[in-house]
Amino acid sequence: MRETLFDGYQRLMPRVRSSAPAVIVDIDERSLDTLGQWPWPRSVTADLVRAIARAGPAAIGVDVLFVEPDRSVAGADAALAQAVQGAKVVLGIAGIDYRDRRFPHPPHAAPVLSSGRRELPLQQFDGQLQSRPEIDRAAAGRGLISADSPDRILRRIPLVARIGKVIVPALAVEMIRIATGAQELRIDDQGGEHVDLNVGPASIPIQSDGTLNVYFGRHDAQRFVSAEDVLSGKAAAEFFRDKFVLVGVSGLGLLDFQATPLGERIPGVEVHAQILEQIFDGTYLRRPTGAAWTEAALLAGVGVLLVLFVPTVRPWISFALLAAALLALAAAGILAFMTGLLLNVTAPALAALAVFAALLGATFAEADRQRRLLREAQARVAGELEAARRIQMGLLPAPRTIFAGQTGFALDALLEPARMVGGDFYDCFMVDENRLFLVVGDVSGKGLPASLFMALSKSLLKSIALRGPGDPGSLLMRANAEICRDNAESFFVTAFAGLLDVRSGALAFCNAGHEPAIACRPGGVPERVEHSGGPPLCVLEGFEYPSGHRVLEAGEWLCVLSDGVTEAMNAAGEFYGAARLREVLKPLSSAAPDAVVAAVRADVREFTGTTEQSDDLTLLCVRWNGAAASGR
Amino acid sequence: MALSHRNYAKVRVVAPVGRLDHDNCEAFRNDLAPHLDACLREGQALIFDLSGLEYVSSAGLRCLMLAARQAASRSGRLVIASLQPLVAEIFQISRFNLVFDVFPTMREALASVSSEAVEAFERG
Repeated sequence: MRETLFDGYQRLMPRVRSSAPAVIVDIDERSLDTLGQWPWPRSVTADLVRAIARAGPAAIGVDVLFVEPDRSVAGADAALAQAVQGAKVVLGIAGIDYRDRRFPHPPHAAPVLSSGRRELPLQQFDGQLQSRPEIDRAAAGRGLISADSPDRILRRIPLVARIGKVIVPALAVEMIRIATGAQELRIDDQGGEHVDLNVGPASIPIQSDGTLNVYFGRHDAQRFVSAEDVLSGKAAAEFFRDKFVLVGVSGLGLLDFQATPLGERIPGVEVHAQILEQIFDGTYLRRPTGAAWTEAALLAGVGVLLVLFVPTVRPWISFALLAAALLALAAAGILAFMTGLLLNVTAPALAALAVFAALLGATFAEADRQRRLLREAQARVAGELEAARRIQMGLLPAPRTIFAGQTGFALDALLEPARMVGGDFYDCFMVDENRLFLVVGDVSGKGLPASLFMALSKSLLKSIALRGPGDPGSLLMRANAEICRDNAESFFVTAFAGLLDVRSGALAFCNAGHEPAIACRPGGVPERVEHSGGPPLCVLEGFEYPSGHRVLEAGEWLCVLSDGVTEAMNAAGEFYGAARLREVLKPLSSAAPDAVVAAVRADVREFTGTTEQSDDLTLLCVRWNGAAASGR
Repeated sequence: MALSHRNYAKVRVVAPVGRLDHDNCEAFRNDLAPHLDACLREGQALIFDLSGLEYVSSAGLRCLMLAARQAASRSGRLVIASLQPLVAEIFQISRFNLVFDVFPTMREALASVSSEAVEAFERG
């Protein structure tokens, strides 16, 4: 991940060289085509070295090993050794993981002085491959040419490494030493990753393991000159004067190619040229000691920022915050790279994403918890409402059961709240042996508040009715005073109260703002029981409610209902209405109360269809069976 | 429910339109409050023009009653005019005509509170 990021920086901003200290004499396809296949007789290589040396280069680096004796031409090795002698030639050495029998001793290398107390963790080789002693002895210096596996992207090159116990410089470094005539290399170790490799006037920042972070430029054919052109004298001497000349092979089939972070595969020898350019231009990529701490600080900073703000701001702002944090990190990484520092911002960026995801998850979890609490609260309220409904329904008497033994009258009643609970109520009971009290009431409003007031009203009416034998008018007067005493919400109650003498059929009644009752004699027509009455209870304090009187015929019924019947609405928004009610009741003049109740209920249901019931619906019907039937 | 208002001289007339029931009576009370406050402050009567009111439920009647009580508590006067037949029947059945001063026409309602208002009404 880190390498990918650093590669990305290089791809974004490849190194641009400002000087050209190195040229490459390339044993390329054309050279092989003209001069024959590799390896060439060393006499030809000797000619090549001589041709370069004549032009007066600063140093010659040979990125080729001459391990075995040349058996093709007699005296070829001697010829090469002679050409190399005194020509400021640095020969390559390849570090290997074993000790080769042909090279049992560590290579000769210039002394390396180290200023630090610690032993730097340099790359360690057990042995080396190098040119055979006859040629090696003639060379001015030796430098490492080994690189890692060509399958991997080349990012770091050891500028110094150990072979056995000897510290050996890289080819490019040794070339600088030879060119400047320096006697030794000095490692200035200031601790951590602050290490400089000094050679002559050059001071090269390296990592503590002796490697240089190679800052690659693009492959450039300008660096190359074909070996054939050098041998044939076509290449101008100017081209090599005071230059670092690298000799290497790029011909296909020789396969010394390295993959760079820029996505190119360049000849291995060009890597040495690029290192020389870096050293001359002073363009380095350092991974300073504090880099990891800086990264950790960035990580912590971004994390704290997100933790502080994401839970408190709106989602789109937190997304913007995340984007800004990521952009800032990317910018910081790029800026650092531009000043030659390798800063790994992927860890802070990933941490920012992780923190953000975690916070988002926590926010969602919290929302989920709130939803669950709400569901539970709803379920609890629904449960309590259901209990309230059972209690309210339990308050209403079941007339068929309590009046089962009565022969003097028949009574049936029905109440259907529009919601779970409602404000309608009815009651019916014997106040004494001969008198039946009945009431139908309607609290303004519906639902839970109305139902509480309904319970209060019904209880008070019953207790007043049982306490005093007074007529319905004075009963409602007292109820008006008592119910309204503690009426914070200013509810009011319409009520129709009646007292029926079951011996005589004499009915006293009072209507407090309620729907008029309907009476019907057997074989007769339903008619409204008109009564001046008064306003609903709790509307006018101290109102004197008058009682009305009617004597029922034998078999005559009286039906009291709430406005839930007449004002029931269908889908078109029309009311059920008193006219339709009369039509339903017309053929029921001789029907029993339960049949009247059932018929009205069925017709209202047919009228409203699937429309939601808009108001509580209450019906009470009582029929006086006549003096004979009463049996008293 | 829409609640428009107009003035005849200094008498303010508000005209609820549509239905007044359990679902909108709270909104109606909120809409009404500033008019009622203004009338009580100025010592003027408030007239409900119910010619546009199609239906009033018991919850709606409670709203009107609360307005009447608020007016009464501050010695204000609240008058109702121009009932549609259905609403008139509801007032009749519930005996709310005993609670309010109810007039069949706007002219009669205005006449009951202020002669200047009637003149303003007749000028159109």
